[in-house]
Amino acid sequence: MTELHKMMAFFGVAREDLLRLIQIALSNGGDYADLYFEHSISNEIALRDGEVNAAGSHIDYGMGIRVVYGDQTGYAYTEITTMKEMEKAAKAASQIATSSIKEMPPIRINPLKFTNFYPIITSWEENPISSKIPFLRNMNSKIFALDSRVNKVLAKISDSTTLILFFNSDGLLAFDERPMASIAATCIMESDGKVENSSSSRSFRTGFEFLTDDLVNEVAKEVVERTAFLFNAIQPKGGELPVVMGAGGSGILLHEAIGHAFEADFNRLNTSIFADKFGKTICSSEISVIDDGTIPGNRGSVNFDDEGVIGQKTYMVRDGVLTSYLHDRISAGYYKTAPTGNGRRESFRFMPLPRMRATYMENGSSSETDIISSVKKGIYVDNFSNGQVQIGAGDFTFYVKSGYLIENGKLTRPIKDINIIGNGPQALADIVAVGNNSVIDNGTWTCGKEQYCAVSCGMPTVLVKKLTVGGVQS
Amino acid sequence: MSLNPKETAVKALEISLNKGCQAARISLNIAKQCSYSVRNDKLDRLQQSTGSSLYIQLYVDSRYGSFSTNRTEADEIGNFIGKGIEATRLLTPDPYRRLPDKSLYYTGGGADLEQYDNSVESIEPAEKSRIAFACASEVLGKDKRVITVNSEYGDTDDYFYMIDSQGFEDESSQSTFTVSTECSVKGRGDARPEAWWYESTIFFNDLKIEGCGTKSLERALRRLNPKKLKSGKYNMVVENTASSRLISPIISALNGASIQQNNSFLKGMLGKQVFSPSFTLFDNAHLVGAFGSRYFDGEGVATKPMNIIENGIVNTYFINTYHSQKLGMPVTVDGPSVLNCLMKGNELKKTHKDLDHILSKCNNGIFVTGFNGGNTNSSTGDFSFGVEGFFFENGKILHPIKEMNVTGNIISLWNNIIEIGTDPRNSSRWQIPTLAFELVDFNGI
Repeated sequence: MTELHKMMAFFGVAREDLLRLIQIALSNGGDYADLYFEHSISNEIALRDGEVNAAGSHIDYGMGIRVVYGDQTGYAYTEITTMKEMEKAAKAASQIATSSIKEMPPIRINPLKFTNFYPIITSWEENPISSKIPFLRNMNSKIFALDSRVNKVLAKISDSTTLILFFNSDGLLAFDERPMASIAATCIMESDGKVENSSSSRSFRTGFEFLTDDLVNEVAKEVVERTAFLFNAIQPKGGELPVVMGAGGSGILLHEAIGHAFEADFNRLNTSIFADKFGKTICSSEISVIDDGTIPGNRGSVNFDDEGVIGQKTYMVRDGVLTSYLHDRISAGYYKTAPTGNGRRESFRFMPLPRMRATYMENGSSSETDIISSVKKGIYVDNFSNGQVQIGAGDFTFYVKSGYLIENGKLTRPIKDINIIGNGPQALADIVAVGNNSVIDNGTWTCGKEQYCAVSCGMPTVLVKKLTVGGVQS
Repeated sequence: MSLNPKETAVKALEISLNKGCQAARISLNIAKQCSYSVRNDKLDRLQQSTGSSLYIQLYVDSRYGSFSTNRTEADEIGNFIGKGIEATRLLTPDPYRRLPDKSLYYTGGGADLEQYDNSVESIEPAEKSRIAFACASEVLGKDKRVITVNSEYGDTDDYFYMIDSQGFEDESSQSTFTVSTECSVKGRGDARPEAWWYESTIFFNDLKIEGCGTKSLERALRRLNPKKLKSGKYNMVVENTASSRLISPIISALNGASIQQNNSFLKGMLGKQVFSPSFTLFDNAHLVGAFGSRYFDGEGVATKPMNIIENGIVNTYFINTYHSQKLGMPVTVDGPSVLNCLMKGNELKKTHKDLDHILSKCNNGIFVTGFNGGNTNSSTGDFSFGVEGFFFENGKILHPIKEMNVTGNIISLWNNIIEIGTDPRNSSRWQIPTLAFELVDFNGI
């Protein structure tokens, strides 16, 4: 029995059932329909006050049916996968279409062939809580050992395994097993009556082999350094300043400043500030920006997206020219181009939308030292939390947990807790130096566009000529 | 044979106890949702769903585990709970984990809080679609600068049931009806500012459909041609659609988990004058017909109306049973229900202080209509947010602003309160009115 057959049996459906559901879904004249079956099991254990004393497991099961009619969408889901309930959902989704019933050509079932970007060596299912507990205890000990000011440690290991069965009206049939693992630590330190906190995390699509002592040491060291740093840091004087964005997590700039605005649903509706920029030069020819679903084990990777399009690497900007939006099937149809594998969804409860995967900038030619040296007065930032963007106005923001003032080409006073705001197209055009040290940040980045989606981002060090930096005036 | 929701929860409780738990709490949520979205002049999305979740909290040999599933067939639940108990037994004992003191439970008898409209089950699809189109039609053809309008009608029908092994048992139902409109307009250059408006009610007949589209269009048009201001200290007026953002860090800092983890800028502040004596924040937990109104919290503990901050003094933390044990403090509730705040001397319903009044009082400054990203340091209360809004002078709005941040400290900010309006929107659980603060740090040019 093939994996596909096993999965069909797991979800309790036969070929005839899939065909019948598609037939009902298109019964009002829809152009396209797909079925998305999902079973997810997620687990977490947490350490608090020195003990691993909380655990949880969560199961989510169901299937969603989507009908596309032109660029209109009907969607319904059910948590009960009997034919009766699924037929009801198919009927509900079919209501989006209102044309006369078309003659449906016979559907030839065609299994999807794809590369597996996240093979699992040891499944999470085979490893009970007892095998994860030592890693959290080790994390706790390491963090306390690294700095006497540590007061509290919170640490968590989360894993999930999602089984997807996908079928559409083109006959495409596919099964995917999607693992996700993360480890996170928050450290709270107290010194001379002052308290500071910071967090660090790593996340990959991988099996139990994710957990290693090296990983624990890396996260422990990082979270302690990040927290200790804050005691000497200040909120600087705010205003327009040159901003050097350190390699890695600074990819949040790409995600917020241009990534969302490149998602083709916004462009199709003409509401994105980049809607008229396709094929035009939008920034320095030294800049190429990629959205990639093919990085092995990356949090944003997809073997195939949630509408059955295989994972791929998409150049959004190549040598300064806007070369591609990020498409789902609907927007690709509108633009008469191929979908880019960006049709993603949080779960069977949601219809897919164009979403980013791993978004990063390729290397440029400058060294980080040279970039910093070129700034007389500005800031350097390298640790971030949330970001946000207004798609139409183009104003994006991200929050800086820590960084430095730059004075006369040198990193001087540590800074913290400032928001940075800019305008997407302008910020991209204002990147005047690109470093040669591009790196993907493997923290637990999650994008919240209407629904949650795992992503990642990366960047070499870059210099943005001018952004508005938050800070105190006195 | 499938069980009804209550039977499912009772069965799960029985299984938990039979398989070795000393105590357990089971909650079950069933949510039905329906939405009709219109883009410009045609139906764009139609969504319909029913979802259920069974939440299982297990207390096993002084250990605690929390589980959930939407597979509610009897044999599935049995296996799932069995595995949950097995996993929980592998944890370190935690003597602080227990169900609440029974004397704190809500025991019933309260008046109807008017949280449910039976008509949620009977509104015809054609009517839902008509409403969504009606909102869009208020925008279409009204101004040549309009690029796109999206409008949506949605309703939800939520049922919640909770039972525990100490005899607590109660249920609640909640209906919600929402209309929203979002509109994009084209101005000079490439920018396409967008704006939204929404109305949300518990009762269908209260839903204000007319004007939703018009308001979104007005709000979008007034955002055209923004200017960036010089960095400096400005009076800040925050619209009642955005003001909750400035309460949120306070509520997080009052949470028992933050206090216990030494990660709160309000730790050690109970009973102390922290904020302006003019500022009172209260929980109107039993307000009839208000979103969030409830008689019991997530543990079954009875809620009550209370002042959270009274004349600037921190009156209470949000302490559940676990953190009560850990901190040696009495249980309060797990969080606020219906939040509101007022200025000393402004009694709601007797005083009228709306946006115009507050802009006049502040004379000059920045009127914030939305926050764009940003965050607060939970240990220190330092914050920095992106803002959208307008510059006003002599009490009159002059022009929109762009690319600006506001930065400061939550405690200092609330000590600089100038005015709290009497105009909260009742479309959400946190009914925070228009706020005004004196000389706040804004960052621009």
